[in-house]
Amino acid sequence: MGTYVYAITEAGHPLNLDGVHGIGDPAAELRTVRTKDLSAVVSDAPPNLRAKRRDLVAHQGVQDRLMADGAVLPMRFGLVGRDDDQVAAVMEEQRDAYTERLKEIGGRLEYNLKVARDEDDLLREIMTDSDEIRRLNERTRQNPGAHQDRMALGERVAREVQARQERTGSELVARLAAEAERTAVAEPTKTHFLNVSFLVTRERAAALSQAVHEEAARRGDAYAFSLHGPLPPYSFV
Amino acid sequence: MSVVQQSNAPNSGSGSGNLYDVLELILDRGLVIDAFVRVSLVGIEILKIDVRVVVASVDTYLRFAEACNRLDLESGRKAPSQLTDLVGEATESGAKGKSKGALTGAVEAFSESFQKGRDESEEEEERPARKSSSSSSRRTARRREE
Repeated sequence: MGTYVYAITEAGHPLNLDGVHGIGDPAAELRTVRTKDLSAVVSDAPPNLRAKRRDLVAHQGVQDRLMADGAVLPMRFGLVGRDDDQVAAVMEEQRDAYTERLKEIGGRLEYNLKVARDEDDLLREIMTDSDEIRRLNERTRQNPGAHQDRMALGERVAREVQARQERTGSELVARLAAEAERTAVAEPTKTHFLNVSFLVTRERAAALSQAVHEEAARRGDAYAFSLHGPLPPYSFV
Repeated sequence: MSVVQQSNAPNSGSGSGNLYDVLELILDRGLVIDAFVRVSLVGIEILKIDVRVVVASVDTYLRFAEACNRLDLESGRKAPSQLTDLVGEATESGAKGKSKGALTGAVEAFSESFQKGRDESEEEEERPARKSSSSSSRRTARRREE
């Protein structure tokens, strides 16, 4: 069966888990594994565990509750130890590293920002800036059979799209990182050219949010910013 | 300007409303214990697809070429002061839906599958486990360094 681990906290964390349920169906009951300096929130691992929606929600729900009362090291989804004793053994073995990390993230929150840009808006900008791309565009419009030109057009545009998205992404990160203690840039997604997480102190969270709103206002309607948080510091543990 | 701010305040519940948007954090970040077993996440490695490889593919070139061909460049040449209105119009007339065409890839397959799981929350999600031949041909496509 095994022991599913949700999060690790300092021993002094109140671990108030009333009304919060674990993964699985029926939902597993949460319990704690304690060592002298650390606590882990765990449950039995359900058989045939996979990343189902309700399980992801439950995993995240435990983090939400714990982070209200203190620093928490969120586990990646889906980690299963042999039993509670093995969890305790790992906590002993990694005590110094975990304690250190808990100190680093104490009083801090993660905010994840994703930014997308309307594609036509970007393509218009690229075409306006490049005579060569406009020329290829006209030629392929008038002659749908011009395969070479079509490929050349697409390749140039793809290169421009990528270069401009990377440039804009770097500019945005540079501006916003000033509000954060740490910054973690992740792979872009299909729709979002920028996917970045910031670690901020509770006091600075409002300032980061305001900076994001100002950037969004500056960039205009063609951009869509989604800011998510506060989150447990998934990207900074 | 367009900002969506999701604030899943602690104790406000499961935070499930925005789960999809932070999915890759829950699945792909967070603390790992090497000695532990990780649940099989068949199909989920798809989240890590290198968008750059998808962008530098023949398929993407053709899509971009098509997107450029149908773009109304004239509207982009108007004075900047009019741009906001024009973008608004374009959005309403459905250009936004079309504009998503050029960057399709395996990631989309994943989001659709997740979206499905979202609607049928009790259903087990079908992971797009199969790597289609088109995605492996993408992988061999010439990688273009910026």
